[in-house]
Amino acid sequence: MSVAHPVARSLFSRRLACPSLPGAVAAAAVAPLTASPLCRSFHASPQLETRRKAGKRAPKADAPKKQPKLPKLKLGKNPTQQRIGEYTKSRFPQYTPEELAELRNIYTPEQIESVMAGEAAINPEDLTLQARLRKDPYRFNYLDDFSTIQPIIDKRPKRQPPPDPMARFMNLDEFTRDLIEWADKFKVGEKTGTLKKLEDFAPEALRGKPEPQWPTKARTEVHEKYMAYLQEEAAKSKNGDVDGTGEDNWGPTDADVLSYILQRSSMTDNGLISNSDMAPGLANKVPGVEGMYKNPVDPEDGGLDADGTFQNLKLQTGMTVKQILDLRTKVISLRSVSNQTRMGKIRGTSASVIAGNGDGWIGIGHAYSVEPMDAHQKALLKAIANMKPILRYEDRTVYGNLECKISGTVVRLFNRPPGFGLRVPHNMYFIAHAAGLQDLAARIPRSRSPLNTAKAAVQALQTQRSPEEIAMGRGKKLIDVRRVYYGGQV
Amino acid sequence: MGIQQITNMCAHLQNASRARLGITSLPNTRYNLNLALALHRAGFINSITRAGPHPPSPSEFLTLEPEPVTTANASTRRLWVTLKYWNNEPVLRRIQAVSKSSRRVQADLEQMGRIARGFEAGMHKGLNLGECMFLSTDRGVLELREALDRKVGGLVLCRAS
Repeated sequence: MSVAHPVARSLFSRRLACPSLPGAVAAAAVAPLTASPLCRSFHASPQLETRRKAGKRAPKADAPKKQPKLPKLKLGKNPTQQRIGEYTKSRFPQYTPEELAELRNIYTPEQIESVMAGEAAINPEDLTLQARLRKDPYRFNYLDDFSTIQPIIDKRPKRQPPPDPMARFMNLDEFTRDLIEWADKFKVGEKTGTLKKLEDFAPEALRGKPEPQWPTKARTEVHEKYMAYLQEEAAKSKNGDVDGTGEDNWGPTDADVLSYILQRSSMTDNGLISNSDMAPGLANKVPGVEGMYKNPVDPEDGGLDADGTFQNLKLQTGMTVKQILDLRTKVISLRSVSNQTRMGKIRGTSASVIAGNGDGWIGIGHAYSVEPMDAHQKALLKAIANMKPILRYEDRTVYGNLECKISGTVVRLFNRPPGFGLRVPHNMYFIAHAAGLQDLAARIPRSRSPLNTAKAAVQALQTQRSPEEIAMGRGKKLIDVRRVYYGGQV
Repeated sequence: MGIQQITNMCAHLQNASRARLGITSLPNTRYNLNLALALHRAGFINSITRAGPHPPSPSEFLTLEPEPVTTANASTRRLWVTLKYWNNEPVLRRIQAVSKSSRRVQADLEQMGRIARGFEAGMHKGLNLGECMFLSTDRGVLELREALDRKVGGLVLCRAS
């Protein structure tokens, strides 16, 4: 209920409490809300009226003066009826004749009538006992007792109980019972056992005797009556008026059947209507497909792979899910691609991902999918599956200088002394980091395409030849002097 | 003329090696033979045999007593070289001539020292991992480290790796 409703009595009455002020009624009636102290201000600065200095501008003659404070009244904890009456009279007084005259100057007779009707609708004692004006900082900036629902402002009420979480689909027996229950609501013209018999039309004297012993005249009369009765019943059945009430109740109508098919719940929730339009989810155990579409969840994973994403990868790589999740991965490129067909462009996403364990293993994976997330996921899985060990000199740099060319991209990698760091282009930094290299220099003299750079760098790292292998090929004996004689200290 | 033979030999050996050939033949010249022997010392090739236009059978490759070269058969003599492979990969992956007949490139001792340690020297880049450089010195055709041991510089023939 908003301020336009008659509950605004308190506002009016407060403003009208000092009838000696001539402008008070007009001011209160014209702008009850704007001038109201009930409006919560959201500004740090005070209102314009309070900011004005009194001395600078002479107050207007008819400006509303400050209201005198009402005397403090307290009802107490258990007020008597008399006390309540006194309080009501002082706080919510009736309009005085002067006030009424003042109001009539402002409002049309129809408006006055509605104001008076509104005043009469509320007992002032209710205002004393029930109505409270909130003063807390969180009050609404409008007057409303929230007794009616305004569809524009208020949310739609949830009248129905929440859906039954235990509801499941009915089995055959339950469904049959439900169908019979529904069908029983309709009185179908079942007449067996309810029709009158021939004997019922016979006179009292002949009731006990078998029919052949009846006198011929009486028998003919009874038969005529009985036939008339049957015809009448048959006519009733044709009209659908089975129980003789004059209404057509010949079973369910088409509309009933349609509503049964479309609206009747097939769950064991007694056909309750829910607040939600959402259909309830399928049961966990649907017979026939139970367990067939469930991802195998390995208890060893510790709940890290609920979706079963890494189960194949576990078999391929022999790593645990924890180890897989701890790998260093990086998306090198995620780009939108399109396939031009006669039906038009089919858009998709291509992703390339680097994966390494930071300890000498590195792999790269490329994948395509319509959804970017799927492409990323597929590329990630491929990158992990493609991981291979690389040769590292002293676990920190590469053996010798490497060069690899992919398309127009040439990548040169140079081994460097300890403490040199990864002084490589940014798009190659993560590859070195993922592979667990610490000292490396690189040059990309030609095309710097990110994808080809990554491919070339990974290929260069993966196709290194170890000095031992070279020496064995040539039939030489090889000793790393630095390691053998100086323990890697020089 | 000799340098031209060397550049041809380098190109041929690289091609044969990449084509995964087991045996190949080179023109029988003194220069070619000296470089082939140096390559053999460095372990890039298996064996060198001087024979006629047809290669000796594999069983007699190492035991064959070559015919003495005479003026009658000199023009038909060839050097038969067996190439080396390890782990399905050629041992001689790359062999590139440096000097050519129109430009002969020398290396002195100071440069050779730098090259052997992997640094640039003059027009030469440093040797990479597993790389060898062959020079023609007055002690014969030598690998870079052999020449350094003997403290002789000379004409740079090729780089092999």
